[in-house]
Amino acid sequence: MKQSLFLCCLIFSTVAFSQKKIPNSTLRTLDGKFVNIQDEISNDKITVLSFWATWCVPCINELDAISEVYDDWQESTNMELIAISTDDSRTQKRIRPMISGKSWPYKILLDKNQELKRALNISTIPQTFILKGSKIIYIHSGYTPGVEDELFEIIQKHKN
Amino acid sequence: MKKIIVLQLLFFTIAIIAQENDNIVVGFESNSQYYIDDKKTGDFTEPNRFRSNNYLKVDYSISKFSFGIQVEGYEPMSLLNYSPDFNTTNIALYYAKYASKKIEATAGYFYEQYGSGLILRSWEDRQLGINNALRGGRIKFFPTENITLSALYGNQRSGFDVSDANIYGFNSEVNISSILKANSWNLDLGLSYVGRKEEKNTTDFNFNDLTNAFSSRLDFSKNNFYSSAEFVSKSDDAVIIFNEIRNAKPGSAFLFDVGYGKKGFGINANFRRIENMTFYSQRSATGNIYNENIINYIPALTKQHDYLLTNIYVYQAQPQISFQDFELLKIGEIGGQVDLFYTLKKKTSLGGKYGTKIALNMSYWAGLSGEYDYLNFEYDSDLLSFGEKYFSDISLEIRKKWSSEWSSVFYYVNQYYNKRYVEETFGNVKTDIFVSESTYKLGAGKSLRFEAQHLWSKDDKKNWAGGTLEFNLNSRFAVYVNDIYNYGNDNKTKRIHYYNFGSSYTKGAKRFALNYGRQRGGLICIGGVCRFVPESTGLTANIVLSF
Repeated sequence: MKQSLFLCCLIFSTVAFSQKKIPNSTLRTLDGKFVNIQDEISNDKITVLSFWATWCVPCINELDAISEVYDDWQESTNMELIAISTDDSRTQKRIRPMISGKSWPYKILLDKNQELKRALNISTIPQTFILKGSKIIYIHSGYTPGVEDELFEIIQKHKN
Repeated sequence: MKKIIVLQLLFFTIAIIAQENDNIVVGFESNSQYYIDDKKTGDFTEPNRFRSNNYLKVDYSISKFSFGIQVEGYEPMSLLNYSPDFNTTNIALYYAKYASKKIEATAGYFYEQYGSGLILRSWEDRQLGINNALRGGRIKFFPTENITLSALYGNQRSGFDVSDANIYGFNSEVNISSILKANSWNLDLGLSYVGRKEEKNTTDFNFNDLTNAFSSRLDFSKNNFYSSAEFVSKSDDAVIIFNEIRNAKPGSAFLFDVGYGKKGFGINANFRRIENMTFYSQRSATGNIYNENIINYIPALTKQHDYLLTNIYVYQAQPQISFQDFELLKIGEIGGQVDLFYTLKKKTSLGGKYGTKIALNMSYWAGLSGEYDYLNFEYDSDLLSFGEKYFSDISLEIRKKWSSEWSSVFYYVNQYYNKRYVEETFGNVKTDIFVSESTYKLGAGKSLRFEAQHLWSKDDKKNWAGGTLEFNLNSRFAVYVNDIYNYGNDNKTKRIHYYNFGSSYTKGAKRFALNYGRQRGGLICIGGVCRFVPESTGLTANIVLSF
């Protein structure tokens, strides 16, 4: 009976709904200021949200790879990548020196106690969302070399 | 049965009222394992070879309101070494929330963190079996852009129930530099209070039902420079050793951090001293191995490594009082770490065509020195002097891209791990670890990744060798095999291969993974919190779905 509870909810939910928007959630800037994720997303461009952490090797591989082509991406599509750190207080202090050391060009926001990560049901990182306005049009989890090319194809397809 | 009907009704209601401007997110995660007997590591002697942890979460939002529920099912039993309180299928969490620009109110279960979590952090980590959400109410108030005030009251989740103690919390954060209209620098002030009220069942020792913890914090930054400090104190509370109250002592913590970053270079250093800072929502839960009833979060401030052999000797913060014998006396820890990140520029002799990225981390942790009275469980600690060395770690990472197809990571770690003090067993361990990782892009989304690892040690289980081979057929489908081999173990029957192979398929927010192999027993640590897992062999399946 108990298993059927899960199954029933699951099947029903799958049929009835599909995810549309980024939920309302408060994040912080590196300076500690509160910002709402919805205010950070511009309505007239493509936004890529990349959930990462300083200790996650594939996340860093992904952000390193995109940083090399980021200028080209921005020039041809008017997009922006926001790298959302899910580091908790164990590793949070490593974020600033790491992004300086790596010269990453991204806007960095902190999901300190992983509220947005939970709200989006992210269970493994890296997980990357492509948004048009605040609507989610593509999700990818994990990083394998070359994924950045696929992301760019989707960005190009949806640019205005 | 009734709950099931209620839940189904809820779903149908939501489906009917679902409109254009609302949003529903459904998440499902299932982690199952089938345990088998293993000739090398022994038979599986526990009940139920098949075990499964399942989580279904639904969040619904409309306008300024949001509602959510999480059902958890551990059927027929939870995975090995999860808390025995996770023993059924039931509604685990629910909440209703209202959020506007000025005010946010939550009723039901919620997660919260004050500052860095030294006095309060409630969170969920399914791999570790931690969910210490609070059940009650919380109000956050944003009177201006520069001020945040919040207050909470609740009981902490424990299994499918809550613990008896009442938890009170208050938090304030003020951006002082904006109030002073300063543009060239930034200063934040944070003040927090957490109270735990649990009836004391003894007249011995001088402590109260209500235990108070305070935290004050300052964060400063100017241009490329930044710094922060946090002071924490906790009022007299029961000291529990060998499951009995032996004394009552206060706790304290001090955390200082400073850093500097500019393009291509970043450095950060932190220092922390903690004394008697364990904080549980039930005094008798002190030191429990399932990480239940934890109110605060005290992570180890060391580098979190991401390779198999670098995660054998993992430091855990030592905030607790422990009087094991005349010599093994612990009341806290003192130490720090330094991080350095540097990029060697492109088109220089050392940087090469693509540049070279370097990361260096050094950490050192020791016990607190002082006067100890073993027989009376009494002590008087020194403020700033180092006692017994617990742990040190030096790691150097070099990332190098050779061509548009080839890239490599080289990683060296030197560790000292005082096993006697950290794990309260025997011995200490010195290790040198080297990891080399290379990735080759084959084009059309295909890539190969391989890792070679070696751990040298004259102590404990001696030398280890390991390797990983991963083949990504495209961005969605990957297969891998890895093995770590304790070939240097003095005991020949313990020279065991811990091999794993498996595959994963990812599409959007859906992920399916299958794995077969032998798991090394020991500590699984995430974010500095560790869970002990015994050796086991079997087939594991993970499913993650999100709609």
